[in-house]
Amino acid sequence: MASFGWKRKIGERVSKSAVQQFEAEAEKLEEEDGAGADEEVDWLHAIKRRREVLLDDCAAKSKRLKDEGALLAEEGRHWEAVKKWDEAIQLTPDNSQIYEMKSQVLTMLHEEFPAVKAAEMAVKFQPLWWQAWQTLGRAQLNLGEVDLAVRSFQTAIHLCPSESALWQEDLKWARTLQKQQLATKEKMRQEEETKTQILNAPELQQDYDFETDEVLAACVAIAERQTQYEELKRTAVVIDAEGNLQNVVSGEGSGGAVTPSEEKFVKARGL
Amino acid sequence: MSTQYSILFKQEHAHDDAIWTAAWGKSEADGSETIITGSLDDMVKVWKWSDEKLELQWTLEGHQLGVVSVDISQNGAIAASSSLDAHIRLWDLESGKQVKSMDAGPVDAWTVAFSPDSKHIATGSHHGKVNIFGVESGKKEYSLDTRGKFILSIAYSPDGKYLASGAIDGIINIFDIATGKLLHTLEGHAMPIRSLTFSPDSQLLATASDDGYIKIYDVQHASLAGTLSGHGSWVLNVAFSPDNTHFVSSSSDKSVKVWDASTRTCINTFFDHQDQVWSVKYNSNGSKVVSAGDDRAIHIYDCPL
Repeated sequence: MASFGWKRKIGERVSKSAVQQFEAEAEKLEEEDGAGADEEVDWLHAIKRRREVLLDDCAAKSKRLKDEGALLAEEGRHWEAVKKWDEAIQLTPDNSQIYEMKSQVLTMLHEEFPAVKAAEMAVKFQPLWWQAWQTLGRAQLNLGEVDLAVRSFQTAIHLCPSESALWQEDLKWARTLQKQQLATKEKMRQEEETKTQILNAPELQQDYDFETDEVLAACVAIAERQTQYEELKRTAVVIDAEGNLQNVVSGEGSGGAVTPSEEKFVKARGL
Repeated sequence: MSTQYSILFKQEHAHDDAIWTAAWGKSEADGSETIITGSLDDMVKVWKWSDEKLELQWTLEGHQLGVVSVDISQNGAIAASSSLDAHIRLWDLESGKQVKSMDAGPVDAWTVAFSPDSKHIATGSHHGKVNIFGVESGKKEYSLDTRGKFILSIAYSPDGKYLASGAIDGIINIFDIATGKLLHTLEGHAMPIRSLTFSPDSQLLATASDDGYIKIYDVQHASLAGTLSGHGSWVLNVAFSPDNTHFVSSSSDKSVKVWDASTRTCINTFFDHQDQVWSVKYNSNGSKVVSAGDDRAIHIYDCPL
């Protein structure tokens, strides 16, 4: 029978730095105890005090690591900075500033998804900090999550509406991208729709009552749809410098482009 | 009528995203009570309060971005909403149709407030100007200049004499509406003032700030009458009861507090929201309070009269 694997795993998830911290602390305390061995030991408070000291020390150490990371990041040693901050996070897992800095550096390293994750932690621990929302929005934008980015930027603005960069740069840019995405989606939908119309043309249904002039009319209708589809396929959604949307016909000029559908029309008539 | 404070009704998932603002109005025509809410999901929702429960009456679509502020006219017929899309929209509450849309220009629409005669709407702007729009005309009619920073909060005194504005740097300005003159500038807080409100007798002004304090000012003498502490984080909204005796506040510490206006002590704390509480308002007779926040819920509380 397979044994229950609880005990073997104990300790694995304890961070190395925290363990070292704890051991160093224990040694120090032992020394202290050696010095004042005759004094009565206040066990009830000693444990509590040790915990407090440990927490204080974690905060101080984390701050040092954070600052070291910031220096490394400034020198362009981004991965090393991330490593320092990861250590700092082990010591103080709820410090949102470290997550926020980490997210920015991860963005520089094009680690888009981890950057979003880090920024999400930053806003989780400090939801009123607008810079964290801005960083989250930027990370989300890099990941292509435009709608989420627009939401994050709005939250940031709601917290600090006087910050003009949020309005002028972040939100405006994200909204432009959002519009483009919408326009592209709409065009794809149109294309899809025209395509299905061609394939499931009512004129091609089996019980269609064929009479000469009707056949002709049906062919004309199908050909028209074909042209429409090709027209759609050749246009591309383009955004000009001012962010306005335009549907531009790409490829060959519109004059030459008519030919293929004419050809098919002739073929259809020959049937 | 109840004798103690209690939560009466919860509307969970009232919007698809955080609720930033709420208002409570009463229709002069039929006496019905209406609550409107504005949210980060771009929607304004109109709720009827009847038989001790909320019923969704209209979902008003039109804003392109999150709705920052809503207000209801004194006769309960028209609602105003402002959004991050820089538009102020007016809605007919009877039909649920948009009456007007005013382009306030970029970053020039934040808190909206109807004047006591409901002929004007005031809104703060980026450069410290208070813009006054005509409800009939739908146009900007004049503006009052504080020469200060971004104006987050606006309030008319119920007697129609004064208009107060609170800025992002904590400065409070009080204008005389008749002359348009700046009467007082008060260095109220060192941090943003997200809400301010006059008492119904227009004698007191209450301000709420990110510094966690609520301050009460004597309007006549422009003097500080009291500083109230109790919230553990930003105070996001304050509202007076119609009988002058109490006021409520909401905070990002997730609580709603009821204060006694004469003793200036907190007499009740509601800890029912899961997240920041952006808005809190009394109904017209002071028997109920509505609150709404980031947890997308609308709560109605019973208040002893």
